[in-house]
Amino acid sequence: MSTTTPQVKLSQGLAIGYTEPLAHAVEPIELGHGTHFLLARNGRGKTTLLRTIARTLKALEGKASARGNLQYVPENLTFEPGLPPLAIFKAMLPKSRVTAALELAERIELDVNKPYGKLSTGNRRKTNLILAEFSIDPGSASVLLLDEPFSGLDAYAREQFEQLWRDSSEQTLRLVSCHPDYDSMGLPSAVLILGNTIEHVRDADQTWSEIKGRLN
Amino acid sequence: MRLFKLTLTTIFRQKSWTVGALLVLVMPFILPQISVASENAGATKPALAQAAWSMAWLTAIFWGFFVAARSGEHLSRSGLGEYFQTTGMSATRQLAEIWAAVLVYVAPLGIAAALVTIFAASPARPDERSMWLANNLQYAVLFVIVISPLVALAIAVASRFGGITGFLTTAGICVYGLYGVGYMKMLLNIEQNSLLSWLWNISPHYHFADPTERLRYKLGAIEWAEFPTLVAYFVGILLLYSALSRAIFRVKAAA
Repeated sequence: MSTTTPQVKLSQGLAIGYTEPLAHAVEPIELGHGTHFLLARNGRGKTTLLRTIARTLKALEGKASARGNLQYVPENLTFEPGLPPLAIFKAMLPKSRVTAALELAERIELDVNKPYGKLSTGNRRKTNLILAEFSIDPGSASVLLLDEPFSGLDAYAREQFEQLWRDSSEQTLRLVSCHPDYDSMGLPSAVLILGNTIEHVRDADQTWSEIKGRLN
Repeated sequence: MRLFKLTLTTIFRQKSWTVGALLVLVMPFILPQISVASENAGATKPALAQAAWSMAWLTAIFWGFFVAARSGEHLSRSGLGEYFQTTGMSATRQLAEIWAAVLVYVAPLGIAAALVTIFAASPARPDERSMWLANNLQYAVLFVIVISPLVALAIAVASRFGGITGFLTTAGICVYGLYGVGYMKMLLNIEQNSLLSWLWNISPHYHFADPTERLRYKLGAIEWAEFPTLVAYFVGILLLYSALSRAIFRVKAAA
């Protein structure tokens, strides 16, 4: 795909769910490049919304669309236990990106020679995130849907990824489902699932402490 | 080709392929020495040929289909299939890439058996030797055509119903086609039964692709005029199983 501006669009009335609607968009939502957080309490449809955008699940009503090279990284993504991250990166990343991926792995203390099955939950997440981030084609628009990428991740690694996201926000749209764990965490753009409605809130100074009250 | 490379690397790292290679390349030289063939010098080479091809088939069935089933199951249950699907890789392409990667390890089993038989058990007479060569090459081709769709079926069934089901289904079909069909024919010779007769007709006659009897009794190569018919028969099964595999295959396990 040659376009350079990524976009995710949710139509007004979009209903997500498996057989029964879990939530619906009360107004059209349009997301551009940069990082957007997807917040909701457990079981309210974060994964369902990501899958609907990724088109592995049909919308019950309305339409969700994405423009750009799409990747959805499921929370349960796992590799064969005997494969070390190094082998995974070499098999799946373009040759030109492997060195940069290994440099980041070293910075965040991911042992790339340890079999995947012996890695901790956090280190498995690091592997999956590095794979997704370095699979992005820098020359074209990308949409990255990340399901709970921070669970089990240490603070330093998280900072490193957030820095990477800031540095590559021009041509990449990231929609990240997560449960923020500190009040001052900045959330300038957040898609919220409140009860059974999907809303988009934007404010450059918005923090988790201001949003969490609405989710309860 | 990311999934192809990942599957290729995974199987290589599992190292169980070395056991398969050992069975096909080494066991044919050991088995005749510990069998009754060791008492008759004239029987050693036919025994070696029989052992080489038997090892190739057994390794393909018990190791190849197992690896294929495991790969199919892992893809659909690990989130990898769903991941690749969202990157734009269709289910057909995912099936094709895993299938190709597994075949890289399984197809050489038949080729290795043919080479072992050609180089270590060729008859001394030149006319017999050329026929021996033709015969082994014919069966190497048939081996690949028979095994290929079963590998795809193992991947597909495992992706939907789990690895054990994928393995047992394909191993069962293959063993039945190689040996069971012959027993059914014996039953039909004793007593005619329309149901059994119909079943026999629709059965996959894989025994036509097993060269052991032909090599053991030096029956010569399959007539070149008949060979295309045999290839066409197995290609027909290949097309049928490929379509069936695509229909069964899924990239994501049911929620």
